Amino acid sequence: MRDAATNGAPALDATHPMVRLDQVAKAYGTVQALRPIDLEVRKGEFLTLLGPSGSGKTTLLNMIAGMTGPSQGRVWIDGRDVTETPPAKRGIGMVFQNYALMPHMTIFQNIAFPLQIRRVPAAEIRRRVTKVLEIVRLPHVAGRKPRELSGGQQQRVSLARCIVYNPSLILMDEPLGALDKNLREQMQLEIRRLHTELGITMVYVTHDQEEALNMSDRIMLMNGGAAEQLATPHELYFAPCSRFAAEFIGTSSLVPAEITGPGMARLVDGTTVVIARGATTGLGHVMIRPESMRLTALPGGASTPNAVHGTLQDTLVTGGTVKHFVTLRTGEMLVIQELENEHRTNFEHGQAVSVSWPVNAAIFLDR
Amino acid sequence: MPTRADRGVSIIAWTILVFLLLPSLVVVPIAFGNSNEIIFPPHAFGVVLFRRFFTEPGWVAATFVSVRVACLTTALVLVVGVPAAYALSRGHFPGKRALALFLLSPIMVPGVVIALALYIYYARIGLHDGTTRVVLGHVVATLPFVVVTASAGLRQVDPALETAATIMGASRFTLFWRVTLPLIRSSIVAGGLFAFLISFDEVVISWFVARADTITLPVKMFSSIQWEVSAVLAAISTMLTALSVIICLAVAALQRKEAR
Amino acid sequence: MAQRSALERRQALHIALYAAPATLLMLGVFVAPMGIVIGQSLTSEHAATFSFNAFTRIASDPLFLRIGVTTLEITLLATGFALLLAYPLAFYLAQQPPRRRALLMVLVLVPFWTSVLVKSFAFTVILGHSGFVNTALAWLGLPTIKLLFNRVGVVIGMSHYLVPFMVFPILSNLVAQPRELALASAILGAGQWRIFCRVTLPLSLPGVMAGVLLVMILSLGFYVVPALLGGRQDMMLANLVDFYAREAIDWPMASALSVLLMAAAAIAAVCLSFIPGGSALLGGEER
Repeated sequence: MRDAATNGAPALDATHPMVRLDQVAKAYGTVQALRPIDLEVRKGEFLTLLGPSGSGKTTLLNMIAGMTGPSQGRVWIDGRDVTETPPAKRGIGMVFQNYALMPHMTIFQNIAFPLQIRRVPAAEIRRRVTKVLEIVRLPHVAGRKPRELSGGQQQRVSLARCIVYNPSLILMDEPLGALDKNLREQMQLEIRRLHTELGITMVYVTHDQEEALNMSDRIMLMNGGAAEQLATPHELYFAPCSRFAAEFIGTSSLVPAEITGPGMARLVDGTTVVIARGATTGLGHVMIRPESMRLTALPGGASTPNAVHGTLQDTLVTGGTVKHFVTLRTGEMLVIQELENEHRTNFEHGQAVSVSWPVNAAIFLDR
Repeated sequence: MPTRADRGVSIIAWTILVFLLLPSLVVVPIAFGNSNEIIFPPHAFGVVLFRRFFTEPGWVAATFVSVRVACLTTALVLVVGVPAAYALSRGHFPGKRALALFLLSPIMVPGVVIALALYIYYARIGLHDGTTRVVLGHVVATLPFVVVTASAGLRQVDPALETAATIMGASRFTLFWRVTLPLIRSSIVAGGLFAFLISFDEVVISWFVARADTITLPVKMFSSIQWEVSAVLAAISTMLTALSVIICLAVAALQRKEAR
Repeated sequence: MAQRSALERRQALHIALYAAPATLLMLGVFVAPMGIVIGQSLTSEHAATFSFNAFTRIASDPLFLRIGVTTLEITLLATGFALLLAYPLAFYLAQQPPRRRALLMVLVLVPFWTSVLVKSFAFTVILGHSGFVNTALAWLGLPTIKLLFNRVGVVIGMSHYLVPFMVFPILSNLVAQPRELALASAILGAGQWRIFCRVTLPLSLPGVMAGVLLVMILSLGFYVVPALLGGRQDMMLANLVDFYAREAIDWPMASALSVLLMAAAAIAAVCLSFIPGGSALLGGEER
């Protein structure tokens, strides 16, 4: 996850945003694919649109690209209203999941193509193509055809093709989806590196929350055609605004609960806990991250305001992490996670345990 | 394991296949028969009939006419048909279905009706140039084939390639010319080969609208078969069959290369 | 669809322009001539005035009635024989593994792409008085039969031409039938013949119907085969159009006859589009 030192967002140009979406929505007949959304992407930012399939993230990206027109609302890129502007005139770049390299052209010709469209002289084309191939660390593939390269190499060529004509904005539609796990992690680093070196604004679409947390300055979490939460990875992880957000990002334990007073909530099994964050009224859930919780055997253990009692069902050890599964008196399951170490306490199946957490580790979610 | 019924079906099927191939198989030996009579089976072998084709007046000239007409037809039908297929497969505009049906409608009209229509029409508008008369008729007859073949090829193209080119700044024409066309090259060639073959063999429209200076090979053959059946026809038939086979194999080879 | 943005609408219109050359050509070289034919069919034969005369003359013309009946007879015979030959062939092909089937299809495609003149000429050789068949019969000591310039010759020639057209829709139907149906029936105890009669054949009827309609549409327009392989009494409607147009120089009659042929073909085409898979035969690429 990105370092959260300066609130996650890098110091950026504040004159105007690179992308501004103003109440942009899309309907197909009677189906509302995207509900009205406002979004500002700052210059030089790496913003990810994250969500499950059907959340509308690709529709939103296509509207920034101009491949789909919005049913309502305006799209602004770099200070210009481009809602009526065709994609070819928006001056942006796009990277696709299946690379979209022209199979009948060599790598050189593929990268040169946008420059030829812009009538750049041949000598200048040669210079820029060579330079950009060095930037993506593929200096020797110019004469080959796309099918001769591996998936990762093709995606880097695709990136090179994007940056060679200096667009002000690069859109990426699940570019790492077709690559295997190891390659994906390498490419995540590669894309971050390019972003930092070149400073181009990037809007990235993915359904992989780890990827989003790794790469983004800010994430817009989307669900069912609407924006769920727009925040830095840190905020999204520690302060999700809804049950959907809490469950989509990382793992979480949720217990139905009700606010009983300022900063106090009663869990469904009767225990009262202190709530420091989140919504302040009504019915909902208390959410705690697994690594924030601790297990201690009963009897004993502090009877702190933030503890519940339950029964240990199972313990799973996977590599370096240990997961404990505890059920409350009323049947809800909590997942507690700790790092494996030699001195950890061993619990028995069916043992009565106390689960506790720091006061500000729990959030009350009312939706 | 093959049952008696399976063997029976196999025998019947192969008999039917032989029946289908019979005409093609019969003309070839006669063509190489060393005689000016149509005898089957031939007694001796030689190329006298082929030599007659080249020396008898009219046959070679008619072949040249057919080649010229077929080339012009193919060029014209590709130039109008491929972009039309592009519009039909990539466009979303009202009336698209109706347009598709319209462009494919010549298949449903009996050839003699098109022939008559053109015959009267050309007389009405005063179009007397033989080549133009025949070529335009052939283009109408072959347009559906080219549109269907090109559309099939367009369906195989990865849409992301066109999206990528558009986002990179390519105008619609640049996209069509430098990305789409190269990608459907084999469909265009296949469509062109079929159009050439159909035009080269076309007889009904040509019979109605040809003028004295544009006697195509099929027209000459047609009158020859009707009025004086000459053995040279066997040689011509052999060559035409060879043309059909070559084009069929070429298209099959193209399709196999595509599927690779 | 009603909520497309101005941007999308402009793009759509731009693409539609790519079909303009073909559309203009079709309007000028297909629609206009057809319009003239329709116009001619509604013209009186002596003056340039509107008249249904041509149609009434056709309805009462004994020549038309005779030839119409001939056309119908020949069409039905040729269609029947084409079906009889095409079905077993399609059945056999459907059972082959795909690679072998593709190879055998080339053998079906060669006659499909061979010129009708070549095929007709070959049949004059095969069916003639001293042709292939009669020579063989004579060699066996049997009497010769007249197979050419009569009904028999025309039907043989037409059936031969039509078989590939009949094979395609039936084959495509048979190949699409799930293998499990025959297998399940066999496990239930059904023999090959019963499986064919109760499962394969009924399921193949749409393909058969499509083939029959397609072949009938084609038969309406047959010109070359009856002209070359038939006798005076085997003239078909297409030959009659030629007669009216260029021998009798009666354009209204020729046009009226053409209009009738077009109408018949159109009706058959509409019927064809109602059969599943039928419109695909006409080259429709809408899926």
